[in-house]
Amino acid sequence: MSAPKTVFLGMSGGVDSSMAAVLLKEQGFRVVGVYMKNWSQDLPGMKCPWAEDLADAKRVAVKLGLDFKVFDFENEYKHKVVDYMLTEFKKGRTPNPDIMCNQEIKFKLFYEVAMEQGADFIATGHYAQTEMNPVQPSNNANLPDAAQPSANTDFLDSIRLPVKADSPDFLQNLQTLYLDQSKTPQNLLRAVDENKDQTYFLYRIPHEALAHTLFPIGHLTKPIVKKMAAERGLVNAYKKESMGVCFVGEVGMKDFLQTYLPVQPGQIIDADTQKPVGSHEGTIFYTVGQRHGLNLGGGLPYYVVAKDQAQNIVYVSKNLNHKNLWTTEIELEDIVLRNNNIKTDRAELLVRLRHRAPLIPAILQGNKLFFQAEIKRPAPGQSVVFYQDQVCLGGGIIK
Amino acid sequence: MSKTSPIIYLDHAAATPLSPVAKQAMEPFWAQDFFNPSSPYLPAKRVREAYEDAKNRLAHLIGAKGNDLVITAGATESINLAFTAASNCLILATEHDSVRAVASRIEHQEIAVNQYGLIDLEDFRAKLTPEVDFISIAMVNNELGAIQPFSQISEIIRQERQRRLGAGEPNPLFFHSDASQAFNLIDLNVSRLGVDLLTLNSAKVYGPKAVGALFIKSNVKLSPIQFGGGQERGLRAGTENVPGLIGFAAAAAEAKAHLKSNRQHYVELVDILKNQLQTAQIEPVFLGHPKHQLANFCPVSFPGLDAERLIFMLEEQGVCLSTGAACSASKGQKSHVLAAIGLSDTEIAGSLRITLGLTNDQVQIERAGALIAAAVNQERQRLSEPATKVQAPKAQADKQQSIKNQDPKTHGVNIQSTKKVAAA
Repeated sequence: MSAPKTVFLGMSGGVDSSMAAVLLKEQGFRVVGVYMKNWSQDLPGMKCPWAEDLADAKRVAVKLGLDFKVFDFENEYKHKVVDYMLTEFKKGRTPNPDIMCNQEIKFKLFYEVAMEQGADFIATGHYAQTEMNPVQPSNNANLPDAAQPSANTDFLDSIRLPVKADSPDFLQNLQTLYLDQSKTPQNLLRAVDENKDQTYFLYRIPHEALAHTLFPIGHLTKPIVKKMAAERGLVNAYKKESMGVCFVGEVGMKDFLQTYLPVQPGQIIDADTQKPVGSHEGTIFYTVGQRHGLNLGGGLPYYVVAKDQAQNIVYVSKNLNHKNLWTTEIELEDIVLRNNNIKTDRAELLVRLRHRAPLIPAILQGNKLFFQAEIKRPAPGQSVVFYQDQVCLGGGIIK
Repeated sequence: MSKTSPIIYLDHAAATPLSPVAKQAMEPFWAQDFFNPSSPYLPAKRVREAYEDAKNRLAHLIGAKGNDLVITAGATESINLAFTAASNCLILATEHDSVRAVASRIEHQEIAVNQYGLIDLEDFRAKLTPEVDFISIAMVNNELGAIQPFSQISEIIRQERQRRLGAGEPNPLFFHSDASQAFNLIDLNVSRLGVDLLTLNSAKVYGPKAVGALFIKSNVKLSPIQFGGGQERGLRAGTENVPGLIGFAAAAAEAKAHLKSNRQHYVELVDILKNQLQTAQIEPVFLGHPKHQLANFCPVSFPGLDAERLIFMLEEQGVCLSTGAACSASKGQKSHVLAAIGLSDTEIAGSLRITLGLTNDQVQIERAGALIAAAVNQERQRLSEPATKVQAPKAQADKQQSIKNQDPKTHGVNIQSTKKVAAA
């Protein structure tokens, strides 16, 4: 029997990567758990939550008898992700640091260091798949109506998982498919759990890394992952999921930004009446389309409909039909294509405008996307991700 | 947590369970005699009396009067309050973070310790300059259990005060000690110790948590850090924690009544544990002074191993113990205490803090010893298996390494080493 393949698994301490560790080990891989220490802001006198995450990750690794390492990417993360994010915000845009983190840290730096240290594969607890995953929806017909994503996970379970996840058959299935050397990961595929699919955050990851990446839980649904974790007595099966940007931790994004970017108080003006209705602390803290956080008191909610950075004015409206909030076309930049088959002169695609947003049809022509019906205008700096069937074809950043 | 057996708790320096006696003493003061001691009616006055009575009893245990004590919400608060008398301080290099953090806000210097964690008296004398107005030395260190030579320390302080008096230097010199760990097993007397300020902690003597006391000698002027209704002589505003103090006083009295028998009991149990670890041939390195160490402490290092891994493995078996300081391990920072006694990074990474207590008996200790030995062996086994795919020369080297000479850096048990790799 040949030596088992070595997988360096990114472990965050959460249930997903913990369960990924269990599955990889059960399938006979030699697993090295790695906690990536990215950048975190230490507030004076405050205990940082990452210490606890690290301990949780290590606890799981130790209980599975895995080697465990800490990769310290603090400097690189600060440089590649935080600085990028701050620069974008200063330009008045709304960047997505998680996408940048995957592109620069998890699927580049982590991949490189893992390979240097003898890995055959890297793995993460992302809800995403490649050809290596054993259960995939065969085509779009298997998906719920693309325009109306179903929140019904039972429904998903029933159509996507022909065998029960806890049956021996199922694990046997995983074993053979994973160890099938004839397969190489080439395409980034949507997760089976449509509610959890994280390919939106992964569309920019380098091809080379993907070809050496395993997503051990991508063919499982979150409820099944939780159930399997509970069955195996994983301590963090019930751990609260971390929300939002990893490095900001308990501090909100706005609080975080305000410690790095200058506060420039200015007026909030009702775009319909042209009357001032409040004050803001800087246009960069607002995103067009944003509904929350205006502190304008009761009544109908206001939406940000425009920002004038030069005049330092934020324009809002109570009119949800305000023209600035809607569009039928989007201009993109920095487009990444994961697949040569896509023709940019005119391609019919499904696109996702936000994580967990429904897939909607669009036509890509050059760097422009055209929609059949009006869509809520996404903010510049955010990403649009392209799909065909279950394959993630790439995406671009909104100009 | 444990699948088969009840927990064997070996971390009594971190927390102690509430003693049944203390629990019973507290009981009436939750829902029955719940009155605010400052209220004007008779039932409240009785609560006041019970509170003051408990304070007196607690004070008497350390040879002081009730009026000398300020009741706080724990040792950290006591220490913060004590340091309001300080502007230029000397602290021991091995002090708890609660002392280090407060000291770091003012002029401060650290006094070195020897390899046992005991104060370097020469260094102390050298650093005790005329500017110093405050000294803070824990009677017993919380990681090593090192018991400081207080008679010698207070003699040096007495001499310096004498010198200042003769030289006409008006600068005061206050001596504070954190006796959080000591109170449980050492007979404390403030006059004999020569302290001006003494921090006590209920949570380490089988009393309720979040209760502490600060002994304040009459010549020391402190400034309150919390303002309000003027309780505790104006030094600690806020309605008194009546059940807390009553529980603390009861637990402390119980501890004092059994000092000798408890010490003897722990000496025997620690002996059993040490013997067991030694005969298991797992090469333990016991830390601290063989004599000047609190009886229930058994700090030990397994150089080359990652103590945090051992903790997670043992927790699975129901054994709860700790590294030097729980948070420093997970933060990837090494224990300043173990660094101060000159341990190498490898020795620090492999260090466990075992502290026994009233929850332990001989059967438990024997079982714990066997489980620790098994975990250590299992880890050594894991590390001796060569990695499957490393660059050829490195793999060779790995195979040739004996277990004894394991370099943890090639196996990623050392956080610092990983950092280097990552940055490369």
